[in-house]
Amino acid sequence: MSISVMEILLKLWYDSGFPSMSWQQVVMLCVAGVLIYLAIVKKYEPLLLLPIAFGVLLANLPMANLMAPPSDGHAGGLLYYLYQGVKLGIYPSLIFLGIGAMTDFGPLIARPSSLFLGAAAQLGIYVAFIVALLLGFDPKEAASIGIIGGADGPTAIYLTSKLAPELLPAIAIAAYSYMALIPMIQPPIMRLLTTEKERKVEMTQLREVSKLEKIVFPIIVTIVVCLLLPSVAPLIGMLMLGNLFRESGVVERLSQTAQNALINIVTIFLATTVGATAVAETFLRPETLKIIGLGLLAFMFSTAGGVLLGKLMYILTGGKVNPLIGSAGVSAVPMAARVSQIEGQKANPGNFLLMHAMGPNVAGVIGSAVAAGFFLSLFG
Amino acid sequence: MTFIDSLWVSLLGMAVVFTVLILLSFFITILSQILGLVVKNGQDTNGYAIPGSAAQRTEGTVPYILGEPDGDWSAGELKLIGVDEKTAAMIMAIVSDESEIPLSQLQFKTIKAIDSSL
Repeated sequence: MSISVMEILLKLWYDSGFPSMSWQQVVMLCVAGVLIYLAIVKKYEPLLLLPIAFGVLLANLPMANLMAPPSDGHAGGLLYYLYQGVKLGIYPSLIFLGIGAMTDFGPLIARPSSLFLGAAAQLGIYVAFIVALLLGFDPKEAASIGIIGGADGPTAIYLTSKLAPELLPAIAIAAYSYMALIPMIQPPIMRLLTTEKERKVEMTQLREVSKLEKIVFPIIVTIVVCLLLPSVAPLIGMLMLGNLFRESGVVERLSQTAQNALINIVTIFLATTVGATAVAETFLRPETLKIIGLGLLAFMFSTAGGVLLGKLMYILTGGKVNPLIGSAGVSAVPMAARVSQIEGQKANPGNFLLMHAMGPNVAGVIGSAVAAGFFLSLFG
Repeated sequence: MTFIDSLWVSLLGMAVVFTVLILLSFFITILSQILGLVVKNGQDTNGYAIPGSAAQRTEGTVPYILGEPDGDWSAGELKLIGVDEKTAAMIMAIVSDESEIPLSQLQFKTIKAIDSSL
């Protein structure tokens, strides 16, 4: 048998992925590279952006077929099976379980009016929804784009996977990127909408919250919200179950697992497979740029909504509420609350708004889940 | 969907979000009042302050609890010299953030204000 070296090399070349690679896939590999850079060097939400970026990279390698569904008796790709957790809404709900186990709702219970700020800060969702419709998206797509304004990654992924799965990668990347950019997006809007006098307001200390209140809280929220909006029961139910683990004090192992191992494992699966949906054919479209622009618009209006209601509360309470805590209603726990704290201290070094801002911040998580439930009831 | 329809959907959506959260706020307030009565009757002795809610002291030894008293977070005796509790809480949070070590794994013994004239 005579073997030609050239033939072997040619066969290896044609069996490899290089000849099948399109220019669009090369662009997507560059996009993945940029996202990896932002995650590692700039530290933009690295826990999510890094696996998302690597998912983008894996999905755009020709012939790897990691997202291929099973066909002709052959098993599908690894990421295809892992993606079923996103498709079926399992991962976002499990992430909410972990978030619930990590969240202290004490500041919210101490000042229930925080919930109003959490509601007002959903304004951007609906503004983006209207603008998206004007730009030619259908209602399901517009709702999925609007939810970026909730600044809540799992909720955005949950809703989009149900209403417009083809937009999932663009929406997930936009949502997490903007969450990382909150310290840059929010402060100019906060300063624009408030006066120096308002920013200087020192808020009175929060009252004591009993352990019993904290235990009853997740049960009440689950019953009220899930009865009103059954479509959001998976998210709110898991969020409150995690919180009950935490507050009950009798299932320490479950609480620790939910807020550490479980949420980390699910984050790997969720982020990698969401990234892997960003294939060139569906991602490299003008719509992606529109989604990124609309996401920014949604974040800006949500911030403005929270701050404006904060101003109203400032007036109604005779200057006892610092409007800066309103911007924390956009979820993005705890980064948005930190921004309120930083801006408050810039105006008045003796200002400690962090705990006051945590109330609207965790209220925003519930608010964005309710907004998602509304869209699901309407378009799901 | 027409522009007018989208406006209506958005207004309705905001109304739903506000209604649900106002209802929650109402239930939480009622709940707090009922449980407040229970606490007054001595049936609940597990109350604890949200960080930063205690009366400020500028010097002395204070017990500090950041979060729940269930072993999840740091707890113990912290000596504050020349600093109030708010400042101490901020310092602990900054140390945790900068060192990337969770507060639950840090133990603070003393936080002392340094006299800048020295």
